Amino acid sequence: MEQAQQAKTTAVKGTDTAREVRALVKNIYRSAHEAKAEGKKVAYMMVASQYDEILRAMDIVPLPTENYAGLCAAKRDMDRFLLKAEADGYSQVLCSYARIGLGFDSLRKELGHIPEGSPDGGMPVPDMMLGSSAVCDPRFKWYQATSRYLEVPTYGIDVVAPPPQDDLNAVRDYYIQYQRDQLKGLIGFLEAQTGRKMDPDRLWECIRLGDKAWQLWYDIDRLRVAIPCPMPSQDHFSIMVAGHYYTGTQIAVDFYQKLYDEVKYKVDHKIGVIPDEKYRILYGGGLPPWHTLWIFNYFESFGAVFVIENVYRGYDPVEVPSFVKDPVDFLAWRAFLRFTRYHEKARSRSGNPIVEKLLDMIADYRIDGVVFHACRSCRATTIGQTHIKSELGKYSDLPMMQLVSDMVDLRDYSEAQWKAQIGAFMEALEGRSRG
Amino acid sequence: MPFAGMDIGSTMTKVVIADEQEKILASHIGPTGAEHRHLALKVMDETVKKAALSFDALDFVVATGYGRINVPFADRQITEITCHARGIRSLFPSARIIIDIGGQDSKGIKLDETGKVANFVMNDKCAAGTGRFLEVISETLGINLTDMGDLALSADGFVQISNMCTVFAEHEVTSRLAEGAGVAEIVAGLHEAIASRVVNMTRHLGIEKDVVVTGGGAKNQGLVRAIAGKIGFAVLTPPEPFITGALGAALVGMDFYSRGVRPAKERKKEEVTFFS
Amino acid sequence: MTAPNSIEELYRERGSRARALHDAGEKVIGYFCCFVPDEILTAFGFVPFRIQGSQSEPIDEADALLEPMACPFARSCFNLALKGRYDFLDGFVAPHSCDTIERMYHIWHSNKPSPFNHLINVPHMLGPSSDSFFRKELEYFISRLEEFTGKKLDPGRLQDAIRIYNRRRFLLRELYGLRRESPPRVSGTEITKVLVAGMGIPAAEHIELIEAMIGEVKKRPAPAPDGLPRIFLWGNEIDDVAFVSLVEECGAHVVMDDLCTGSRFFWQDVSETGDPVEALAKRYLCTHCPRSLKPQAGDRKEDLENRFGYIREFIREWKADGAIFYIVRYCDTCELEGPDLKEYLTDLKLPVLMIEDDYSTSTIGQLRTRIQAFLEMIL
Repeated sequence: MEQAQQAKTTAVKGTDTAREVRALVKNIYRSAHEAKAEGKKVAYMMVASQYDEILRAMDIVPLPTENYAGLCAAKRDMDRFLLKAEADGYSQVLCSYARIGLGFDSLRKELGHIPEGSPDGGMPVPDMMLGSSAVCDPRFKWYQATSRYLEVPTYGIDVVAPPPQDDLNAVRDYYIQYQRDQLKGLIGFLEAQTGRKMDPDRLWECIRLGDKAWQLWYDIDRLRVAIPCPMPSQDHFSIMVAGHYYTGTQIAVDFYQKLYDEVKYKVDHKIGVIPDEKYRILYGGGLPPWHTLWIFNYFESFGAVFVIENVYRGYDPVEVPSFVKDPVDFLAWRAFLRFTRYHEKARSRSGNPIVEKLLDMIADYRIDGVVFHACRSCRATTIGQTHIKSELGKYSDLPMMQLVSDMVDLRDYSEAQWKAQIGAFMEALEGRSRG
Repeated sequence: MPFAGMDIGSTMTKVVIADEQEKILASHIGPTGAEHRHLALKVMDETVKKAALSFDALDFVVATGYGRINVPFADRQITEITCHARGIRSLFPSARIIIDIGGQDSKGIKLDETGKVANFVMNDKCAAGTGRFLEVISETLGINLTDMGDLALSADGFVQISNMCTVFAEHEVTSRLAEGAGVAEIVAGLHEAIASRVVNMTRHLGIEKDVVVTGGGAKNQGLVRAIAGKIGFAVLTPPEPFITGALGAALVGMDFYSRGVRPAKERKKEEVTFFS
Repeated sequence: MTAPNSIEELYRERGSRARALHDAGEKVIGYFCCFVPDEILTAFGFVPFRIQGSQSEPIDEADALLEPMACPFARSCFNLALKGRYDFLDGFVAPHSCDTIERMYHIWHSNKPSPFNHLINVPHMLGPSSDSFFRKELEYFISRLEEFTGKKLDPGRLQDAIRIYNRRRFLLRELYGLRRESPPRVSGTEITKVLVAGMGIPAAEHIELIEAMIGEVKKRPAPAPDGLPRIFLWGNEIDDVAFVSLVEECGAHVVMDDLCTGSRFFWQDVSETGDPVEALAKRYLCTHCPRSLKPQAGDRKEDLENRFGYIREFIREWKADGAIFYIVRYCDTCELEGPDLKEYLTDLKLPVLMIEDDYSTSTIGQLRTRIQAFLEMIL
């Protein structure tokens, strides 16, 4: 029996440059296959682990397994991987990114080849797996579990950030020291795997490219304060590919330069995402619903545009002190400064850095309403949303809404429920603009 | 020598009396349910009568199923997992995997070469993958539960139902209807969804031949076909899938008896009070 | 009062002793998990109180502030706090054990601030640089306590505290040792009560109870052989007897565990020689919890041995016939660890039943069939 229908799931983009991301995504997996053929090292990796430039400097081809899960969801080809992981004994509430990754690796092992028709040609067997504790727990634990299917060298690093209440002057040195030690440990591992020493000049070059791309990305996001909004959140969820998966390369710099030019042109000529922008929405947090990104277009049908978002962001630029002369020290410092960017502000008001960041966004981007996405299988980006919502409510009277599903698991999504909820939210926005 | 097995499920109480040749002497099915608590004993009496025996003539009585705990006249309480395995082993010695789809839960059971339980899985406490799921949706659609399977068989393809949460699935069914999807295709989609859930759960055990589907779900030909489709080969079903648990219970009693175990206490022929 | 009676009372009236001490003017500091050194709190003169949830109380108020897909143990603890059940705490300390505990700390802190609040960052990686970092985190924690109390930490009192907690560890191991007998003279249900009773009282008081309990158990006559299977429990938080009792009621002896409410929190001693803070950092960081990552060691088989070798010893010495995993749902690291441990134990020919549950006594009955079928299977 054939499936009777397949709905459209992806979103219509606002910018032309965002449409070029598809090729960048395909290139991630193609490069990995080519690298394997050329005998280069390929590594499973986690984005935002603060080690991107190190991988690039050591010619290790990154294979972002979480991105692959999102890709499978966008292609609505996730069930066979989710079901495989569940059949192998993984809980249905475990992080669905991890379930897709484990299911994919399990199937590939069982079949002896990449599962037929896997999105973008599937992921080749990597030479190593590099986990990290940045962002959430599954990201350092997942690859350990994957060794059930894939016996390759595996390494994990801690990525640490102090809680906002800490006295930064008291903890800074040892946090940075630990981050440096962790990165150095990783470099030692990579040197052993590649048989080559890391070249510090090469690392500096990758850092320079990384920072340049991130600065451009930051500038693009600043342009998005314009009315009407030149680039919506659905574009963000595409264009982040350059910043997160091509960190430390010229490709990312070129991509963001081009995107910057396009967005700047749109701002200068007052070209918005939709002709009649009535409401400006902040995507307050939670992983995007990769399975149903067209929902952003559904909001647009009510005149509501998502103008900025607080997930998969680039980091705001930070100033590493000039006395830092070693590139690994630089990475450790940069990580610390990135993670503590809103700490002082938080200490002086809400106590919560995310709340402060969202309040800044609400003011800067002239936001009319906030939408969160709770993902049933993502603890890290979901727990605290309700709290953040109520904290925001102390400083802002904007309508806020929390949609619930999952980042990739469609079984947790109800279109009927979402449409009903969105309808009510739109009425709240309308009532507010009238009143 | 007569041995009785009583399987008290969430909706039905089943009793089987079998002899030492593993032959069924009599069986009877009656409703369970809070308002019918006295009926469990009645089902036992009916079966004993059908077998033309007296209750005291039973050499061993084993209770199984959801309501097994408080059966005052049983000599042993054994889980339906062990009992299904025993019953199916008697009916199909070649069975290695049993899929039991009941009203409130579903189970996968793996048997070793000797027919002993080697491993098992049970569904989560939600209704997905159970008879209850179909029951709820049949009410939404206004279709008789017993007609659902045939309706699924008559469908031309199926509509993908992605939600297994019963409430979400109800929403989804309503939306698909509104979009103009055919009722038969939706029902077929529901059967696909349940089969997918149950088979995937069973994959955890490693699926191998022969597979037997039993429990109320085995009466639904649409579901059996969907399960076979997911597994990739034909599955077996017992002639009377409702009573395999009770049959197994009787045979487990027989096994106890043949090992020299005798009823320890005097049986109290009292009402079953498991819903107190 | 006999030891079992006192234990029963402390188990039933959780927090009663700590509340009484607070009312009498002592300072009680509440904390989570197995990563906050009791010794440091004790050396400052605080009563350490390990925060527990309640499996028998529905979670209601917390749902308005904490998402239902968070670990139900954490939600239950927070729920009790919102209901004022932990208002006697003079301080609140959470380790960054996992995503849920870390996030809940901030939510708790914001809604139910204590006079003293602190989050200790705990490395997920294990190794020399992690030890150094954790030591620094403990030193920072100490400096915050010094600021709060206005007094310096007395190194002598810290050494004393280490010795007293090592004494408690020794006694708990001795009590566990009695479970090696077949059949054991002390049940898993009783052991759970001894452990939970001790979570909110000063170590010296707990030590007296454990000593009395050991004496009492040793006096019990040896039970006749019953052929019931011996079960090893693995998982996270079991601070209620409901589950253990259910397993025992179904016809088994729970004889050993690797739980954060069980052997994990007391099995290893703190070194009594050398720098005490360094010794504490080393000891607490090596607490077995799936949230910590041991560096990969060799091939898959060697790596599993390196991770779970200690469990092989438990299984062998306590002669376990089967293992039951009790995973409180939504614990990502346990859910990733479970299948690995299952593979390891299956290789050792030990049957495994993996259960994921909601930390609620109201649903525990539904597990009966699973447990009973497992016991029927392994007999």
